[in-house]
This record gives sequence, structure tokens and C-alpha cells, in this order.
Amino acid sequence: MTVVEDLAPTPRVEVKPRGADRRERWQRRLPLLPALIYIVIVTQIPFLVTVWYSFQNYFWDQPGGAHWAGVSNYSTVFTSAAFRSALLRSVEMTVAAVIIAMILGVAFAVLLDRKFLGRGVARTLIITPFLVMPAAAALVWAGPMLDPNFGLLNWLLEPFGVHHVAWLSTHALGSVIVVMIWQWTPFMTLIILAGLQSQPADTLEAAKVDGAGAFATFRELTIPHLRPYIELGILLGSIYLVNTFDAVRLMTNGGPGTSTTNLPFYLYQQVNNAFDVGGAAAAGVVTVILTIIVATFALRLFARVFQFEEAGS
Amino acid sequence: MANVKYVSASRVYAKDTPPAVNALDLDIQDGEFMVLVGPSGSGKTTALRMLAGLEPLDGGRVEIGDRDVTFVPPKDRDIAMVFQNYALYPQKTVADNMGFALKMQGVNKEERDRRVREAARLLDLDDSLLDRKPKQLSGGQRQRVAMGRAIVREPQVFLMDEPLSNLDAKLRVQTRSQIAELQHRLGITTVYVTHDQVEAMTMGHRVAVLSGGNLQQCASPRELYENPVNQFVAGFIGSPAMNLQTVPMVDGGVELANTVLPLPGPIQTAAKGAGLSELVLGIRPEHLHLANGAGELPGDVILVEELGADALLHVRLAGTDSPVVARAEGRRPPALGAHVTFSVQPDDMFAFHPVTGARLAG
Amino acid sequence: MTAATAAPIRTTSEDPRRRREMAGKVGWGVVAWVVSIAFFLPVLWMVITAFKPESAAETWPPQFVFRPTLSEFSLVFSGMGPYLTHSVIATIGSTILVLLLGVPASYALSVRPVKRWRDGLFFFISTKMLPIVAAIGPLYVIALKTHLLDSIWLLIILYTAMNLPLAIWMIRSFMLEVPSELLEAARLDGAGRIREITSVILPITTPGLVSTALICVIFAWNELFLALNLTITNAATMPMFLISSVPQEGLYIAHLSAAATVASIPVIIVGWIAQRSLVRGLSMGAIK
Repeated sequence: MTVVEDLAPTPRVEVKPRGADRRERWQRRLPLLPALIYIVIVTQIPFLVTVWYSFQNYFWDQPGGAHWAGVSNYSTVFTSAAFRSALLRSVEMTVAAVIIAMILGVAFAVLLDRKFLGRGVARTLIITPFLVMPAAAALVWAGPMLDPNFGLLNWLLEPFGVHHVAWLSTHALGSVIVVMIWQWTPFMTLIILAGLQSQPADTLEAAKVDGAGAFATFRELTIPHLRPYIELGILLGSIYLVNTFDAVRLMTNGGPGTSTTNLPFYLYQQVNNAFDVGGAAAAGVVTVILTIIVATFALRLFARVFQFEEAGS
Repeated sequence: MANVKYVSASRVYAKDTPPAVNALDLDIQDGEFMVLVGPSGSGKTTALRMLAGLEPLDGGRVEIGDRDVTFVPPKDRDIAMVFQNYALYPQKTVADNMGFALKMQGVNKEERDRRVREAARLLDLDDSLLDRKPKQLSGGQRQRVAMGRAIVREPQVFLMDEPLSNLDAKLRVQTRSQIAELQHRLGITTVYVTHDQVEAMTMGHRVAVLSGGNLQQCASPRELYENPVNQFVAGFIGSPAMNLQTVPMVDGGVELANTVLPLPGPIQTAAKGAGLSELVLGIRPEHLHLANGAGELPGDVILVEELGADALLHVRLAGTDSPVVARAEGRRPPALGAHVTFSVQPDDMFAFHPVTGARLAG
Repeated sequence: MTAATAAPIRTTSEDPRRRREMAGKVGWGVVAWVVSIAFFLPVLWMVITAFKPESAAETWPPQFVFRPTLSEFSLVFSGMGPYLTHSVIATIGSTILVLLLGVPASYALSVRPVKRWRDGLFFFISTKMLPIVAAIGPLYVIALKTHLLDSIWLLIILYTAMNLPLAIWMIRSFMLEVPSELLEAARLDGAGRIREITSVILPITTPGLVSTALICVIFAWNELFLALNLTITNAATMPMFLISSVPQEGLYIAHLSAAATVASIPVIIVGWIAQRSLVRGLSMGAIK
């Protein structure tokens, strides 16, 4: 049985016009410039100023302005237990919140993927936590929900043997993380839902015919298909969750002690309470460098996410 | 024994709408290549999916190997299916795609690899392709992987849903014969759906013609061609299509192209018996013979399609609006605009009831 | 051989497979509803508590039946005027600016891409990875020296920078969905770049732009950190108002709930109404 081997399709290559090449290139750059320049000015200038101040001794509550301090701020940061603790806390909170929110997101998305009566309303309800002002969410959870004497949660858990727990004292970190998860699960849910609905229906039917039950289909087909969506969710979610400030400030004020102090809150305290602009700046720069390292590592892992959005034209 | 039976099988999508498949009765023998053909909306794909277990039955039952499988889930029916768009698992390699069903059955890795390799060889799929992902393959290769996935299972029945429709013309012709050969070699009962009647005629042992959810006729290709049971089958099977014209009945026959065309006896009797004043006359293009001036049916050539071996003439017969198509010698066909005449043998004429479409015969 | 009459139809209850499917569907539907309501409960509780007089809010067990009152709401409304105005200006102002800057930039990263569009995209996203908190001290000093401290313009500028990267990513993904045939046809018809954007791209991506604007509104309206550190009275926004409702001493659960409800309601209502848009945006255009 001879077969004429058909050629593999050649990828579409975008034809860049020759000749008016230089002009074309600048014409393409022009629309990008306003946004680019704006962002550079508004984000890089403060960053450069931060770097400048990180090498200065500058205390607001002291007269005399800024003096050159060399790297003393940096050595303070690196030897500071408070900074390390805040860093650790940030990592703990972000990792826990992102992972749990993603797991819940997948579960909710699977539930919302099937048709059932009132699905639209159910979806609306699930999205709402994302819309609630984070400051409001923090206050509502801190007060009406978790209050030891009047809170709803304690009342709901009473039949299970839980009595008047002071959540923000005994389980402060957990409480903050719960609020973070509560607010970001809808985001994960929607991204995963997009993934589920983009799965071609006929491959699922083929799996049925091939003998795969519901679990096997989910494990063998759906999860691999969802991988880029999960990565996108984790990437974007981490970017926002690592900067969590509202919940910490309004629920626990970093406490008890420093048990819920994450990096954003730590830096806030340095500026507002310690008035140490130089120290805060150095801590900020170190934070930025750490973020860049983690981000580069993460993006290499998630390079797929960018291929995901390949320019087609 | 892997025969397939549809017994009064029906599928209705919404209450009070006409059924997508209306009480289908079909008997498919073990090892037979049965083609379900019809235009879109005819219910052929639905019928196939009912056999697969992907559509529930609203009436009747389906049997595989004399076993009632109406309520049996797809995976327990011992069938394999080739989907129209192949439905290959995008994140799995070709080898994993083909071995997936075996993996689900718990077959060990060695055995799986052996059977996958065997199927790949059967389909002329190079070993180097086994580790690629579907998106790296060409359309023809993907089609073969889809077939390989079905073959590896060694099922009782093959189901194929328009597997050639996404291939280009040349590849389609090639693959057509490969599939027919493969089926012959493996001897597995196959139910094949297509809208292309050429595929149906060349591949099937028997062909079931469907329209509007109803089975029109199920017979061998030759039988369908020479003895269509109604107007739909007559007009659907055969390319170019049979010429169909509604013509009034007159003394001695029917009137066509300002001429009286005598009808064969049996048709006359049937028509008179049904009390008809007109009927639908059917004549195949190759039965309109070019007669140099001596034919009964005059007309003007409005289009000549030269195919090399023959030519197709589109002719407007005198006194008619819609043109007829006639087959002529390819070497020197009449020119555009020429006035020609045709003769036709009475035995080559078909007649159909103008309302029901049923064949009028003895 | 045409069957003229339809065959008798079997009902679902006679088909064991379909019966099982229905039961499964109903079962999971119930689970989905239970989960949705549980997830929504804190919001519901917030709104309920807002209608309580303070005495009814601080009880054990928590009360579900009580005489609703608007007393806490009127307290909230009486204080929130300027905060509301500032929030509206900062939100709408920054969103408009984001769209003005973002649409051309996305165009330059998608339809007629710059050669190094990947680097461009990465740069924009990377600015979001650098925590704004790191620069808050210097930002304060800069704002002070440029006389922008406690100014609504400062918030507009910063919120724009905050939302622009995400907006560019989103708008870009919507622009990529414009069928290339439409663009080619427009080009053949002699459309230049501007025409291409206004006549082809903008009309088709309008739903996507709405989604993007919605997300920007949500983030700008809810933003606390920058407002807290860089404004006091002239530009204080709703999140600030919310904080001010929390007294130093004592519990004011009902008052707090009322303030929280009022602060959150605009975004919640807009999000509900434009839900489709929101869903489309959050899923990067994948769910229509």
C-alpha cells in the first residue's frame, strides 16, 4: 500500500515589508510609545529615586534631610530579623492562598461547567467576592464574621463543638489567608472555566468511546488541557496576592505581634511608623530584586503562557 | 458474530418536532461495509451516534452481535469510532493516542506498544511519527492516526463519521481505496457515514440512503443505481444527477420538448392506475443519446463541460425552462449554441409519482 | 419505503442511562447551589447587618429576624460625599487614560506588531511584579515636592500606571481575535492605520474594551494602599472613608457593615449587570 506522503504544513511567517522598512518600523512603534513612555516615567522614576534613597540616611522626624549612608541600610535589611520574618510570611501567605484558591477554582469551575437550573445566578454569586472592596471584605470578615462574641462563623460552627473562638487572635494568619482565598477564588474559577469550555467536545466523546470514565477523562485529558490556564491563573494571582495589604492592615494590623506582617505591611510600617525613608527604600529595593529573581524563574517555567498568546496576523 | 441491527430506532430532539431519526430498521451483516448516505439533516450522523451510544434512543432498540445494547454505555459496546475532525487527544503523542483505549482496558505497556506498532505499520505510519503530537502532523497523517486508534482496539464494529471530508480531493480518492482495502483485510463490520454519494457507491457493500430522518432505500450500489425506489434516491445517486422533469401525460405517453414520448407499458399502467395527469420523468445523462437530427428531443446547447474522456452537455430542450444534462463523447462534442437532438430508449426511462415521489413501475 | 408515521417515543424514566444522567445532573446542581450560597454568605451577612441597629448587631446568637432600620445608612451617607466624588473622579479618569494609552499600545503589540513585541509585553507585565509598596516612601517625597500630594491628579496618574499593564494584555488578546481576513479586506480597500483601527478593530473589540474598562474600574475603585499613604482630605477615596468608619474604641459592627455595603455596592452592581463582560475579561476573552 503505497502512500504519497503529505507534507507537514509550513508555519505562517509574517512578511515584513522590505524597502520602506525603516519607516514601517517606526510607524509600528509609534502607537506603543505613549504607553511606554508613560509607564517608564511613572514607574521607573520612583524606582530610581527609591534606589537613591536606599543609600541615604533619611529620617522624616529628624531635621537635616538626607545624608549619604553607603550600604548601611542594606546591611540592616539583611541582618534584620523583622525583614526576614516579613519575607517568610509573604511567601507563606501567597503560596497558600494561590494554591488553595486554584484548587477551589478548579473545583468550582467543574461544578459550573455543567448545565443546571439557575446556573447563571450561581455563577453571579460565586463571582461576587471578587467585586467586594478588599478593605470592606477585611472589615466584614474581621467584625461580623469572625468576631468572637457576635460573629457568624462561631455561630455556624457551634454544632461542631467550636465555642467562641477569637479567630484573629488564635488563628490570625489563617484568617487573613482565608480572606485572600475568598476574594481570589472567583478569579481562578473564571480562568479555569474558560479552559474547560474551550476543550473540544469531540475529544471528550472519543474518550467515552475509548472506555474512559469521568475520573480517567479528567485526569488524562482535562488536566493537561487546563495546564496553560492554571499557569496563567497562578501567575496573575501571585502578582496580585503578593501585594496583599488591605487584609493585613484592617484585620490584624500585622499582629498578634508580627505573625501576620507581610512585606507590604512591613514596608508600610517602616515608612509610617519608623519614618525611616532610607531603610524602607533599601528594604524595597531588596524586595524588588527578590521579586525579579522569582519572576524570571517563574516565567521560564511558565513561558508557555506567552506562547499562548502568539500574534497571529 | 458482529452483526448490527437497528430495530425501529428513533431519535426525537424536541417534543412535537419531526424525528431526527424515524423508526429506522436496518440489518447489517457481520463483516459488511454499510454506508449511510444522505444530505445534511438526513439523520445519518445521528443514527451512527445512536449506535455508538453517544445519543440516546427515544424509541426502538439497537443490537450489536444479537445483544441489545440500547442502554449500554459506549465503552461497553466493543466499538471503535473515527470522528469527522479526528478528535485526537492534543496533549498526547501519537502512540499514546492510539494506545489510550487499551490503557483504559488495563492492557500492559508491552502489549499496548506491540499493537500500536502493528496498527501503525498497517496504516503506513512511520515509526518516527509515534512520538509526535497531533498538531505536528499533516491532515492526512492525523486521519490515519484516528483510524489507527480505532484499529488497535480490534472491536466488533467500526463506526466512521465522514472521515474523509477534511482531506483534499486527491488524498480523499487515495484514502478511500485504502479504507475499503483495510476493511476487506480485517473483515470487521463497518458502518460508514458520508454525504458524498461517490464515496458511498465505491466503498459500500450496501448503501442505506436517508432523507429527513427516514430510510429511503437500502441496497447494493448497483441496485440503487438501476432500481431506485423513489425520486429522492434516483436523484441523489449518480453523478451527474438523473434529469428529472415534471411532464404532463398525453395520449400515448408524455409530452416533453414539444414531442410525445411513448412510455413503456408498465409505467403507463401504473400511472393510469394512480389516476395521474402528470408525472416526474427521470432519464440518466448517459441515456440521452445524441442523434444527428434523427432524435425525438430537440434542444440547444447552453454549456459544454469537457472532462477529457467525456463531455457533459447542458441542453435546454424545446419548450422547457430547466436544462437537462447529457453525456457525450469527449472527442468532438457539439459546440456552444448548437442545435441538437436526442433519442432515448423506453427501457431507460424512470417515472415517479409527482406527489409522493414513489417509483411508478410494473 | 418512507415511514409516514412517527414511532412511539420512550420517556426518560424508561431509559436507565438517562435516568442516571438526570439524577447526576440534579445532584451536582444542588452541590453547586450549596457552594455558591456558602461562598456568597459573607456578602449577604454584610448587607443584612447593615440594616440592623447597632444593638441588634451585637448579639449572641446572631439575629436573622429584626426590625430593619436605615439609621446606619443615613450616618454613612451623611459623611461620604467628598469621598464618593473623589473615588468617581479617580476611577473614571484613570480608566479613560488607560484606554487612551492602552488601545494604541495593544495595537502595536498585536495587529501590526513591533519586532520585539514579546519584550514589550514582558516589560509592561514586569512593572506589575515590582511591589508598589517598595516605592511608597520615595513616592511620598516625590509627590510632596511636585505639589501633587493629596491631589486627585496623583491618584489618576498612579491608578493609570497600576492598571495599564493588565489592560494592555487584555486588549491585546481581544485584538488578536479580529479575523485577519477583515483586516486584509480593509487594507485592500485602501484603509490606512487609523482607518484600520477605527473602522475595523474598535467596533469588533468594543465588548472586549468594555470588559477591560470594567476590570480597571474595579481595581481603581477598590484601591487602598496608595490612597491611604498619599492622600488625606482633598483626594481621600471611598476605601479611606471605610477606614474612617472604624472607630478606635469599641465595636460598631452595624455601622461598619453599612459603610462596607455602601462602599462596595457600586462595583458589585456594575459587576453583576455587566457580568458577561466581566467574565469575558477575566478569562482573557476565552468565555464569551
